[in-house]
Amino acid sequence: MRHRSPSTFVSSCLLVLAAEFAVAQEPAPAPSEPAKPPEAAAAEATQRANEQVVVIEAGTVHPVAGPAIANGVVVTRGERIVAVGKKGEVEIPKDAVVHSFPTGHVYPGLVDAATDAYTDPALRQGNLDAGAALALDLHLRHSRDDELVQAGITTAYVAVRSQGAIGRGPAPLPVPLPFPLPELQGTPQDASAQGAAPSGIMRGQGAIVRPRHEGFELWEKRERAAVQVRMTNGPGPTHALQRQQQLEAASASFEGLEEFRKARTDHEEALKKYDKEFADYLAWHQKKKDAEKAGAKPAEATAPAPSGTGPATPPAGERPRRGNRGGTGGGGGGGGGNEPPKEEPKMNGAASDEQFEQALATLLEILAQDPVKQDPPKQDPPKPADAPTQGPPAPATEKKDEAPKRPTYPKAPARDPQREALLAVIDGELPLRVEAHRPDELRFALRMQAQRSIPVLVLEQAYGAMSVAADIARQGASVVLTDVLPNSLPKPYDTFDVTALPAQLHAAGVQFAIATGSARRARLLPLMAAAAIGRGLDAEAALRAITLTPAEILGVAKDTGSLQSGKLADVLVRDRDLFQSDSRTLLVIAKGRTEFEAK
Amino acid sequence: MKSSVNWGSWADGRRGQMSLIVVLLLLCAGSLRCQDLLVQAKRIVVAADTVLDDGMLLVRQGKIAYVGNEIPADARGRAMVVDYGNAVIVPGFVLAQSTLGQDADLGEGALAFTPDLRVAEAFDRWQEELTPLPRHGVTSVALSASPRNVAGGIAALVKPGKDGGTIADHELHLSLSLAQVARNPERQPTSLMGAMDLLRTTFAAARTGTKTGPDAAVLAQVLRGSRRLFVHADTYTELSAALDLAKEFALEPVLVGAGEAEKVLPRLLQQKASVVLGTLLPDARLQQLRLPATLAQAGVPFCFGGSPDQLRLSAVLAVVHGLDRKTALQALTRLPALLLAQQATIGSLRQACAADFLVFSGDPLDLSSAHVATWVDGVRVHGEGGKATAVPAAAAVSTTTNTLGGQ
Repeated sequence: MRHRSPSTFVSSCLLVLAAEFAVAQEPAPAPSEPAKPPEAAAAEATQRANEQVVVIEAGTVHPVAGPAIANGVVVTRGERIVAVGKKGEVEIPKDAVVHSFPTGHVYPGLVDAATDAYTDPALRQGNLDAGAALALDLHLRHSRDDELVQAGITTAYVAVRSQGAIGRGPAPLPVPLPFPLPELQGTPQDASAQGAAPSGIMRGQGAIVRPRHEGFELWEKRERAAVQVRMTNGPGPTHALQRQQQLEAASASFEGLEEFRKARTDHEEALKKYDKEFADYLAWHQKKKDAEKAGAKPAEATAPAPSGTGPATPPAGERPRRGNRGGTGGGGGGGGGNEPPKEEPKMNGAASDEQFEQALATLLEILAQDPVKQDPPKQDPPKPADAPTQGPPAPATEKKDEAPKRPTYPKAPARDPQREALLAVIDGELPLRVEAHRPDELRFALRMQAQRSIPVLVLEQAYGAMSVAADIARQGASVVLTDVLPNSLPKPYDTFDVTALPAQLHAAGVQFAIATGSARRARLLPLMAAAAIGRGLDAEAALRAITLTPAEILGVAKDTGSLQSGKLADVLVRDRDLFQSDSRTLLVIAKGRTEFEAK
Repeated sequence: MKSSVNWGSWADGRRGQMSLIVVLLLLCAGSLRCQDLLVQAKRIVVAADTVLDDGMLLVRQGKIAYVGNEIPADARGRAMVVDYGNAVIVPGFVLAQSTLGQDADLGEGALAFTPDLRVAEAFDRWQEELTPLPRHGVTSVALSASPRNVAGGIAALVKPGKDGGTIADHELHLSLSLAQVARNPERQPTSLMGAMDLLRTTFAAARTGTKTGPDAAVLAQVLRGSRRLFVHADTYTELSAALDLAKEFALEPVLVGAGEAEKVLPRLLQQKASVVLGTLLPDARLQQLRLPATLAQAGVPFCFGGSPDQLRLSAVLAVVHGLDRKTALQALTRLPALLLAQQATIGSLRQACAADFLVFSGDPLDLSSAHVATWVDGVRVHGEGGKATAVPAAAAVSTTTNTLGGQ
């Protein structure tokens, strides 16, 4: 290790002494309570909870994945279900906490496939970028948000349903965030690059949440769960041709995605190339430093030249700001000729920031120690007249002709969160959820799915789905129905019989879920399923429509939606059959935690 | 024994006998009313406190003739059996107040005070708003004057039917209104205090006899208690004003709307007021959704009103938010009939009541129960007819002949 200055040594010693002093000042733990850091205590408590076995005995257990079980039990350990079966046939550990409901009914925690809980009501009127993640601005806002868990809803998909009409207007802006997150927030110029697209079509990205008592938690890795698109003007009077024009404009949002993808791919490849060239550049200088240490002349061995370059003339405006002050033409930066970087764009690949900083520090060190040995600065040969200049003319610095040319950082394509989101839809990483009401809007959405090859399409509300049920089934789209209550739709939607729609979709083989659409209707989710039963849907399918099927649509069926061993302990206990109007919630367990218990 | 009527000379002749039988068969062929109906179901809710399991009703000429075990054996033998199997039969829903979307014709726009106008005189039996009523389970409606007038007029009891609607009673209650819609800037009164002053003045004049005329006569009936008073009032201020007026003139009002009724609960009880609630919407405030349960707990009589197509859902929402089923069903049937002073004819399936009933696959207050059929005055106006078993034709003919021969 190289000898440091005396002041540095003294500083280091002082730091060590200060640390020892601080430790000595810590109060000694009480002899009866061994000192534990808070994190360890919390971890211990969590582990105890994780190991806790809870048994729920009830008159009827409805697993959903199988037939109902009379006198059934559900056994959970920690966050997960470990057993479901008939009482007496399932082993129950001795230390289990037993909840007994002799006349009760046990269900999986309900899954609400569409709600506006925790969202900002202001977003219903504004425009949202397809890349805007609602998860960043979810809060417990409304007095009814807390009802989700009381209603037995343990998983919910949160999005905002716009109330405005689709119309020409200013380009959508990203959701205003409470704090800057450059990696998530688009820049104003990115939004304006979308041109005069119809407003109100893109509705951001919804999130999957787990409602809790007085709060919620985001489902891990599901903060961006789907891209929301609105392809309806609502029940207001509109002409069919006008609607068609607006729908065409909505489809146009998918234009240019492949070009954007190519630009992104090209940039990634250019970055890899840059990383390699820069690594070579650093290696050359390290080699030179080593040679100088050994007292040898700076290496005059052929330096690896940047591939594919002649006399470097970087395009105007594309060189990083820490670019080459030693000149713009001819060779690359000489030893020490470059200024320290002021702004460093994020680099991918092998040459990390740390490595570069280290290399640069070494170079500066060398220069500081033995400046005499450096060659005097040489004047660069005059540039050709048509060569673009980079910034102010730099003073003449020493530059070795043998030094490799410093590679040029490739220009990144303009950030476009909306296009990135839509690419994720095309690639099947995110579902596309389309709010469409009338049959022509639904047909358009299906046509768009076919034309754009959208793998996962979910149709929301879909009041007029009866006439396109066969098409929906054929294309494998799913449907999330809201407002499944008698005579609940305004004119002219009152011609659609929404309560009869579930039975019709079921008969047509369409995967569908029944959802509340609003936090205010959280308690009414079972009622909506009951209304569907009253219009011909069988009870099993109705129960599935508010449990396992929405879980499948949301992509979380592996963890919730039914009472099966291995799934999360999301359990709802009611005092009577779920579809009776006076059925009351007795207990709600979510991920093994008791979130609600009736007094 | 030979009959003494004119038909006797015909009945003796063979040709006359055959003609008589043919004529009678033709008369009865198109109408079920000629034939008794024996309606059977797993459960018949005659009234909230009277439930028959594996029950039967005998319907004769549009009315309930007998219930359950009271049905005579011979009547059972003659009647056409309509068997609804495992269904539940309840009395038809009574809507205690509605304009059926006819606000324009049921409210005099130029004058605010028209208590003597009669809704029955503006009734259109073919209006399309009557057609869907059976589908929603509504078998009787108190067609009322528009709440746009401070004193709108006298309501009428209307029933839907296969051949248009009918008026069952031309003279129901008087409708007053202290609601916001009654304050019209284009005519007096334009304010709540103006409306109160108008009502107070006119009622006082009617009481002292200084005011005469048809409108005063109607007010006098209300003051005597021979005609009920319905008052539209929603907010606390409006409800308080209505209760003040009722107290001043010793009235027991029926408050329509009463969205903030929980704020005047003690007064409602004290003054024996009743409430006709508006439509309960799924997105209403929790306080609103719990109001029926609150009123029931406090002992305030109430019924469901508002839009006919939301009547059942209103009751179901009330049950979801704490109202017990029995009270909820009463609030759809018996209670509104009581408020309309029609309990002798509608709101239950007791003897002599109109044969207005609904058939459900289960409890009507569970949305999972399908609405199977609606009958009004013994005629099925909506849905399925159940498993009908007709009486053999020969038995019917011989019965008819015997009846005539015996005269």
